[in-house]
Amino acid sequence: MTDATQDAASPAATTTAADALKRQSPWRRLLRDKAAVLAGSFLILVVLAAIFAPLLTPFDPYDTNMRMRLKPPDDVHILGTDTGGRDILTRLLYGTRTTLMIGVSAVIMGGFIGALLGILAAFYRRLDNPIMRLVDVLLSFPSILFGLAIAAVLGPGVDSLLAALTVSAVPSVARITRGAATVVMQQDFMEAGRAVGVSDFTLIWRYLTLNCLSTIMVYLTLQFGQTILLGAALSFLGLGAQPPTAELGTMAAEGRNFLFFAPHVSTLPSVTIFAIVLAANVLGDALRDVLDPRLRQ
Amino acid sequence: MTRHIVERLLISVPVLLGVLLIGFLLLQVVPTDPATVLAGPTASAEDVARIRESMGLNEPVWYQFLIYIGRVLQGDLGRSFISNTTVLSELGNTIVPTIELMIASLIWAVPLGILLGTLAAVRRGGLLDRAIMAFSVAGVSMPIFWFGLMLIQYVGFKWQLLPFQGRAGPLWTLEGLSHIALPAITLGGIFVGPVARMTRTAVLEVLGADFVRTARAKGVGEGRVIMRHALRNALIPIVTLVGLQIGFLLGGAVVTETMFAWPGVGRLAVGAIVSSDFPLAQGAILVLALSFLAVNLAVDVLYAYLDPRVGRA
Repeated sequence: MTDATQDAASPAATTTAADALKRQSPWRRLLRDKAAVLAGSFLILVVLAAIFAPLLTPFDPYDTNMRMRLKPPDDVHILGTDTGGRDILTRLLYGTRTTLMIGVSAVIMGGFIGALLGILAAFYRRLDNPIMRLVDVLLSFPSILFGLAIAAVLGPGVDSLLAALTVSAVPSVARITRGAATVVMQQDFMEAGRAVGVSDFTLIWRYLTLNCLSTIMVYLTLQFGQTILLGAALSFLGLGAQPPTAELGTMAAEGRNFLFFAPHVSTLPSVTIFAIVLAANVLGDALRDVLDPRLRQ
Repeated sequence: MTRHIVERLLISVPVLLGVLLIGFLLLQVVPTDPATVLAGPTASAEDVARIRESMGLNEPVWYQFLIYIGRVLQGDLGRSFISNTTVLSELGNTIVPTIELMIASLIWAVPLGILLGTLAAVRRGGLLDRAIMAFSVAGVSMPIFWFGLMLIQYVGFKWQLLPFQGRAGPLWTLEGLSHIALPAITLGGIFVGPVARMTRTAVLEVLGADFVRTARAKGVGEGRVIMRHALRNALIPIVTLVGLQIGFLLGGAVVTETMFAWPGVGRLAVGAIVSSDFPLAQGAILVLALSFLAVNLAVDVLYAYLDPRVGRA
């Protein structure tokens, strides 16, 4: 992240000295926020651990060994073993991988569809009403109902979980994007671009979307934590990833049956979810304060 | 204001149709032919055909959807595949426990959240503010099932203080009250953080308003300024925001009910989906969606009533 940070900071260096005194670059302000830096570094570590899971552990997340069931932590299995005698640390690494993959894919897909709807609604006045009515309808469903309904129609599984999380992210992203895009639409450069004959596509992409991007990204970071939580809850209910899949919510649910004599089996995945969501929320809040204070209600 | 309510009702119509469409779809994915099931194993092909005709199964899908809407309007939601009782009677037994749980959670969580949020706003930037906000962010990030599992593990099992399985009679008995305690603490617990956050923002906004400065200039005491002038005005946005969070609460309720074997609609829905009991799942989802719509509508009307500017705008 340090590289990206410096890249982003360099345009600020080109502004005048007086400006620099008045207003520090957002990234530098972000770097001064200790909680945000901590949260960001933690998330990077988690992502790296998830990507390199196979290199970090000698065990297989799906190899069962009934003689090793529900063992407490020791030198070989640092965090103990679960109901199938599988190494919990290994399953946590692979579980984080699954959970993050589901969360990131859902936020990206839902964010893309939502942002597209919001931009189109702001750009083409004719589409505004139909799109925003559709968004209203979608917003009228609590996200848990998407999860229940889609799991009921398609059957419980990762596919329905992904679909439910995607759909539940769309309406709020669309609304936020439309709000930001409407402000950009009133800028003079939009009209100037149109006057010199820039095509609709270029206007939408270069002029409109790029100017809304920071708002969208900040909102998606904030949405990410909620998506992970919802996904974990649905998996915990048995409506998402199915056992023996290593997924954090599913693992917490599996451990529930042994809560009284082996509490660590369900506590560890729960704590992992909590830490990831907390870090995402802290980072999202800090990004919002620095980049886009308007989003604060 | 009447116009505002009518507008809201009109927006609800497509939502209502969407909910019904989901319910209808759920019954369409049933893998077996309902007419064959109804006719029984010994029925002749003609009998099955006759039943198909009488059930409207030969009609086009859109027409079947209309038939379905008609049946739902008459309160006919079909029969559960598993218990063979009507879906309506199964649902009837679960609605009261869910409402009980919601009320028992909100009754302590909302006042506590408002209290914490107001304290944070008054001590803005101070240690107390930062502590409350940190607590609030942690609360928002907590998977509800972890909070519930910890309560079950410690309060329920280790210290044996409170029961954690099922519902035991009405709330006014000690037995009933002790059974709802842990579920209500779990569900209310995830609600305190968001309410505190919203209250803080709302109170901070009002504290900057002209009439608060006027009140202070008049020499009104600080306690009175906060209670009478700031908090009372901030309550309007708080009520709406809390109302709009009911969907979030509903999600928590589904998990809480399942964990504590609380016999509510959410647990019924999850059980029905996991066991592929499509009619029951359809009924439970329908009821959850409709009650959510009704609450949203009520909040909207309440808002227009509390803040007359909304109706006129």
